[in-house]
Amino acid sequence: MAAVTLSKTAAASVIDLEDVSIGYGKDAPPVLVDVNLSVERGSFVAIVGPSGVGKSTLLRVVAGLHTARSGGVTIHQDRRPGHRPVGLVFQDSRLLPWRRVIRNVEFGLEGLPVSRDERRQRAEAALKLVRLDGYARRWPYELSGGQRQRIGIARAMAVDPDILLMDEPFGALDAITRHNLQDELRRIHQETGKTVLFVTHDLEEAVHLADRIIVLGGTPARVVRDVRNSAGRDGSVFRDQVEQLRSEIADNYSI
Amino acid sequence: MQTDKPMKSYQKVALSALGVLVFLLAWEAVARSGVVPARLLPSPSAVPAAFLTEFKSGTWQEMVLASLSHYLVGLSLGTFLGVSFGTAAALWGKWDAFQAWVVRMLRPIPAIAWIPFAIIWFGVSEGAASFLISLTVFWINYYASYAAVRGVDKDLIELGHAFGQGGLIPRLFKIILPGALPGILSGMRAGLGQGWMTVVAAELFGISGLGMRMMEASGLLATHIVVLYMVTIALLYGVSDFLFMQVQSRVLSWQR
Repeated sequence: MAAVTLSKTAAASVIDLEDVSIGYGKDAPPVLVDVNLSVERGSFVAIVGPSGVGKSTLLRVVAGLHTARSGGVTIHQDRRPGHRPVGLVFQDSRLLPWRRVIRNVEFGLEGLPVSRDERRQRAEAALKLVRLDGYARRWPYELSGGQRQRIGIARAMAVDPDILLMDEPFGALDAITRHNLQDELRRIHQETGKTVLFVTHDLEEAVHLADRIIVLGGTPARVVRDVRNSAGRDGSVFRDQVEQLRSEIADNYSI
Repeated sequence: MQTDKPMKSYQKVALSALGVLVFLLAWEAVARSGVVPARLLPSPSAVPAAFLTEFKSGTWQEMVLASLSHYLVGLSLGTFLGVSFGTAAALWGKWDAFQAWVVRMLRPIPAIAWIPFAIIWFGVSEGAASFLISLTVFWINYYASYAAVRGVDKDLIELGHAFGQGGLIPRLFKIILPGALPGILSGMRAGLGQGWMTVVAAELFGISGLGMRMMEASGLLATHIVVLYMVTIALLYGVSDFLFMQVQSRVLSWQR
């Protein structure tokens, strides 16, 4: 069993996965095998693949919520104090319904060596980053789905993580809201320079957002393609990139 | 499905008041008609006079205070222990398995069945009454808390782990207890009502309080006094339930 190793030595990459294999249960066949992946600091990496291929599981391993069967998972943690190695954004936002928005954003800062004032300041800055600074005193139930997702992003950003992990964060949103939030995320990535590891099954989303796309496929799944991407949102380059990925996935798809 | 138009709150209050009035009038009518002898069914209009007599002699206040003290001690003890044990059993599978059959054996025994032991252990005393009340309240809170803690969204617990709040203390106080609070509070509210019912039973064997006074009065066939204390208990329950609901809705203001 391989848990996440936190390393404080400087490195160009934020996370390194070496020969990682992942499975559920002792005797069940593995879900993912031979995953080797280094994510460069400041990059935006998308993981795509068909449903059930193990994208979210891979993310959960990096987040420390699931232990890999074998292999090494290393996060190169920065030396600055008062931050967490990862900030996780869930598909279902997962706000604590009994906490007001600002206290939800503060959640991950609790337990860090951060004063009460600094905690509040950082939470307010994170709310501003997602453009919901007027919502600090609201209850989660008063928010729309898109707003809840923004709060989820603010909560993850407030801990100033080495890497922002996002598990299909816009998958449950309507098309217009999703589009807006994609643009917001892009802006946030550019403004903050955060490293992002983003799981999605939406190829357009991956091509629009990421500068690198990892395709998972096969049974058990492994990395079948690792694509540098600079297609952006529009034009024929974008469409070609999406089409190429689509056929890659189809080629490696087995039921 | 409800097809009625939503009622205004004053309409609801007016209807409830009308219901009580009709009930009292019907009762008064039956009592006065002479169909039932007055000894067997006192008329409600005899209750205010009974209250004045009992109040002037100071008996009413004395009994209310005595019952209230048994009630508050029994209620707080039973609630605290019930919530603690219920939560512990829901949290730790090993402890749950260890105590499961003990709970199954003790649970079906009603508080009244413990009266002999209550007297042997505590004598005919305040402690005996409080003990019986706390037993009743304990079980209600035990099961309510157990179910509430079990029902806490596992995804929120995972959220805690993802944000460094996975240790026992932060998990318990930041996720499990707040998440279980609605269920725990409705258990407390049920215990609050059952507690009053047990007050009467616990005092019937001679511990000073509303129940004892009812027994005395019924021995003398002073049924209007029995009714007075029945009404007193109903009012005390009504007030405590109302107050608890105010607290509950404030504490749970985060709910839609």
